[in-house]
Amino acid sequence: IKNEVDLQVLHLLGPKTEADLEKKPKVRRRLGTGVGGGEVGTETRSLMEQLRGEALKFHKPGENYKTEGYVVTPNTMALLKHHLTVTGGQVRTRFPPEPNGILHIGHAKAINFNFGYAKANGGVCFLRYDDTNPEKEEEKYFTAIREMVEWLGYQPYAVTHASDYFDQLYTWALELIRRGQAYVCHQKVEEIKGHNPPPSPWRDRPVEESLLLFEDMRKGKFGEGEATLRMKLVMEDGKMDPVAYRVKFTPHHRTGDKWCIYPTYDYTHCLCDSIEHITHSLCTKEFQARRSSYFWLCNALDVYCPVQWEYGRLNLLYTVVSKRKIIQLVETGAVRDWDDPRLFTLTALRRRGFPPEAINNFCARVGVTVAQATMEPHLLEACAAPRFLGSVLGPSPQKGQHSPPPSPQALEVLVPNFPADESRGFHKVPFQSTVYIEETDFREEVDKGYKRLAPGQPVGLRHAGYVIAIQNVIKVRGSGGHVIELEVTCTKSDVAEKPKAFIHWVSEPLVCEVRLYERLFLHKNPEDPSEVPGGFLSDLNPDSLRVVRSALVDSSVLSARPFDKFQFERLGYFSVDPDSEEGKMVFNRTVTLKEDPGKA
Amino acid sequence: MLYFFAFLCPVGVGAQWGCENEIKLLTAEIERLKNFGCLGVSPSLEGLRDENAKLKYRLNFLQKSLQEERSKTAKSMININSCLQEIFGAAIQAAYPDLENPPLVVTPSQQPKFGDYQCNSAMGITQILLKTKEQKVSPREIAEKISKNIPANECIEKIEIAGPGFINIHLRKDFVSKQLSSLLMNGVQPPAVGKRKKVVVDFSSPNIAKEMHVGHLRSTIIGESMCRLFEFAGYDVLRLNHLGDWGTQFGMLIAHLQDKFPDYLTVSPPIGDLQAFYKESKRRFDTEEEFKKRAYQCVVLLQSKNPDFIKAWELICDVSRKEFQKIYNCLDITLIERGESFYHEMMKDIVKEFEDKGFVQVDDGRKIVFVPGFPVPLTIMKSDGGYTYDTSDLAALKHRLCEEKADILIYVVDSGQSVHLQTVFAAGQMIGWYDPKVTRVAHAAFGVVLGEDKKKFKTRSGDTVRLIDLLEEGLKRAMDKLRDKERDKVLTAEELKAAQTSVAFGCIKYADLSHNRLNDYVFSFDKMLDDRGNTAAYLLYAFTRIRAIARLANIDEQMLRKAAREEVLILDHEKEWKLGKCILRFPEILQKILDDLLLHTLCDYLYELATTFTEFYDNCYCVEKDRQSGQIVKVNMWRLLLCEATATVMAKGFDILGIKPVQRM
Repeated sequence: IKNEVDLQVLHLLGPKTEADLEKKPKVRRRLGTGVGGGEVGTETRSLMEQLRGEALKFHKPGENYKTEGYVVTPNTMALLKHHLTVTGGQVRTRFPPEPNGILHIGHAKAINFNFGYAKANGGVCFLRYDDTNPEKEEEKYFTAIREMVEWLGYQPYAVTHASDYFDQLYTWALELIRRGQAYVCHQKVEEIKGHNPPPSPWRDRPVEESLLLFEDMRKGKFGEGEATLRMKLVMEDGKMDPVAYRVKFTPHHRTGDKWCIYPTYDYTHCLCDSIEHITHSLCTKEFQARRSSYFWLCNALDVYCPVQWEYGRLNLLYTVVSKRKIIQLVETGAVRDWDDPRLFTLTALRRRGFPPEAINNFCARVGVTVAQATMEPHLLEACAAPRFLGSVLGPSPQKGQHSPPPSPQALEVLVPNFPADESRGFHKVPFQSTVYIEETDFREEVDKGYKRLAPGQPVGLRHAGYVIAIQNVIKVRGSGGHVIELEVTCTKSDVAEKPKAFIHWVSEPLVCEVRLYERLFLHKNPEDPSEVPGGFLSDLNPDSLRVVRSALVDSSVLSARPFDKFQFERLGYFSVDPDSEEGKMVFNRTVTLKEDPGKA
Repeated sequence: MLYFFAFLCPVGVGAQWGCENEIKLLTAEIERLKNFGCLGVSPSLEGLRDENAKLKYRLNFLQKSLQEERSKTAKSMININSCLQEIFGAAIQAAYPDLENPPLVVTPSQQPKFGDYQCNSAMGITQILLKTKEQKVSPREIAEKISKNIPANECIEKIEIAGPGFINIHLRKDFVSKQLSSLLMNGVQPPAVGKRKKVVVDFSSPNIAKEMHVGHLRSTIIGESMCRLFEFAGYDVLRLNHLGDWGTQFGMLIAHLQDKFPDYLTVSPPIGDLQAFYKESKRRFDTEEEFKKRAYQCVVLLQSKNPDFIKAWELICDVSRKEFQKIYNCLDITLIERGESFYHEMMKDIVKEFEDKGFVQVDDGRKIVFVPGFPVPLTIMKSDGGYTYDTSDLAALKHRLCEEKADILIYVVDSGQSVHLQTVFAAGQMIGWYDPKVTRVAHAAFGVVLGEDKKKFKTRSGDTVRLIDLLEEGLKRAMDKLRDKERDKVLTAEELKAAQTSVAFGCIKYADLSHNRLNDYVFSFDKMLDDRGNTAAYLLYAFTRIRAIARLANIDEQMLRKAAREEVLILDHEKEWKLGKCILRFPEILQKILDDLLLHTLCDYLYELATTFTEFYDNCYCVEKDRQSGQIVKVNMWRLLLCEATATVMAKGFDILGIKPVQRM
């Protein structure tokens, strides 16, 4: 993968040597949406291709029984037949997030996998909020999740909630008790935790008793933890009798105060899949241990049983994605909020300027492999497909006065929007007698290999068609003598000797804020105690955010909206931050152009 | 830390007890939390707040469960109004715990913009606060405070405060829908009344040997309906016909019988017209001195239970009884005969009891009893040693209270007897037979029947109208009406006959019952047979029409029952909503009548229900048909269920009123 990605990076961004900069015409490029997939996908098979049909060993709808390990009961065939009449043989998947946090890059994989598999096979995908735990849910998560799914370009077939089915789930719980497959238990949570907990002494209590006690649970007669409903089954990992219902005296986001018992994931998930006639229940590998309980429960109730398929989880390095840890980061001020561009939540990635295509392509490249994938964040960065623009002056710009000023008709310079394709238009950039250049593009002393502006070493101004040469270096009075201004002469490039290099510049610029990001953590696995004994909060990179408060930018970006993307000549890809205000634009650097920004 | 118990209870009462007890415990916990009683040892305030929120949630939950258990055990229809009263009672109590007996007013709203019900207690509370505590609080402020204290419940969607301080209540759609479904599944069930109580209703009560007249009609009709209502509500009802079957008039009747049919002991005397027989003997009693003397002897012999005289008395009573029964059959009246003679033996003891307790004064040889608050004394023994109505009514009162152990005792007797009955009741309290706080003894008085000329109802010749003639005329008029409408061409002979009796007797009863019984009412066949307006004729027509809707859509009862179990009643259309709520007001109407014994409220309600139904039916298609072919395109099942619910409630209403609807008319 690493090789592939490197190729990608090259393909996408082009060679990045300074020589290159000289050869290539100065351009500003706008990429249309959709370009991402096509261009980037040339090296990897597209996600859709990967997901189509037999590429995966997934069963055909209605042929659930052909899957290894699928449990066939005397009712299976009839149920599958009915299932096919409901779905018409369509592939049905679902993306089932818990609405208790913001989606991160790992979810993007699940979204791509579920929606993509359905789409690639002419099926449908549900967005189902797994809202069985009332304590953790908030309205903002519901809307944020939906927004992110749509941002990634997917449209759910239907938006459902596990809580939509609470009545049905409750009826089934009663049925499960009646069938002797579930019982009310009074063991405490601590008792059934850990290895080899004692079996429940209530396992064999009479059905009638369990029914009455379950009814009492529903009525609020038991305190939290005083009673649970447990299913009679042993899981793969030897865990006995998982809990199906527990008491929680907490109102639910959607059902209000209707319930004080809530179903667990183990109980809810497969039944919701069954209700929605999901054909392929895709989940990450850690759910493999719950596969048998999944099949068991559907069969215990004689309802349609979907097939659970597992895929590898995505682990990212140099970051944390768990909700709890992000909350800690937010609370300690290490990041600004859930969408701080240094995080890998989807909102953060969007804010940083990654287009959804980049994220989808990243997922495609990770592939649908069942193996657990560990990715370095910069691989994701390589997927960015931003737009190009004229120039900005980075930190500490130098002011250059040149004389004589260019002729009147040269007061404006035409700059192509896309350097590779001049047919896609130009924009005008003012060119006055005062221009600003990057501090690092001037040196008082020339050393070997330095090709840009220095006394006696003129340099070309990209796109302007002029070459400037030093006349006079003006410094701050006093010791140190910090250079503040350069007086230069300006010669038309067709007259002047060909300079060794071309640099970017601005004239009549806008002052703006630029935020430059680095990895948030110093170590690959900040959560790994062997790597970071002091805990992830001790591993924060102090330089993860650098803010340049008065950068100068080409005034043609003035009308840009939040999330608009630009390439700033020689500096990288940037995106307009929603913090931008009138008269004070804020840019986030999505990625640099160079793999090692220190090199220049 | 906080501890509380979960009671592991079996079903039924125990479980309820568990809930109640828990509520107490939890309330105590919450109180303690409020007082920060455990702050000293608590790990953190945050934790306690969470705990408190959970306890509150649980408390609400247990209260809801308790409600649910209560309503489940009885299967009764929920009286929404009293539910709301309970809720607002609790809210007012919570908002103003110091107020004693704060006014609690909840009424159905007249206009949809004011919600479904209104609570208007805030105005009253303002007055009370001003008077008792000299606090000036605006009703609006009070309304807001009440609103904030409304406990968790299953029926209120939202509330709004309007105007000076009206609290407009919006019911939850799913709640109303659920109640309608349960109505359809369980049938019309009475509002829950708790312990089965005994009710004695004294009604009809004609006199032997006299014809029943239109005055008896009212008592008979009202009494019968009242009995039906109480029986439906789950009371144990004793229907008593307090016949005038004892007294001096029997002396002259027996004397006359002996003269006319000397062998009456062996051959049953053919007395066809007892009325004429009574008139003859009365004439002789007034004119023949010797006859009069003999008549008195007969009274003595009868009272001494001489078998021959008892036999004669029974013969005469039988003749009357047969006449009465004809009328009772027509009007579908059920009664137990327990006339004045039944209490004869007890009267001696009554007099003794009053004497023993020192209530008796002797006045000019009579034994009289003064009752505080009543200027006219009761005469419990005449100077000749005979007893009076006062004595027999006291004996009957005591027997009903002490032997029958009535919890409620109702006398359906005309208003003219009001003072007499009130005096008797007061005497009963005075001597300690009952406590009005425990036992309810009520005179359900009614006004007289007037002719269309607004004068006392008489025949053209000035005689009292015989009831049997009246009923026959009703039959004839009903048939005329049906023929007018050419129903005879549509209905079979049998159906026509059924329609005739249903309309005739239904209209006579309804005309009586639909007027406030306290007022006099004008008897008019024309009005009562009109099929427009608040008449039985209109309601019967409406009812058969509703019942026909499902039949014409080829939906049978079984399909309706299945749908009632499975379909949710949608109440999205404003007319559906209005009808749904109207249907569910039935229990509160019944409850009101159980309290004030005014049956016209039920008639008004049925009329409102029928007109609300018409509004619904005019606006909401139940069955959609193809315009050309008339083929059924679509059946809106939930609407048919609304029709069914309407019809079920109407049928129960008719049943209580004693009106028999027919399948076709």
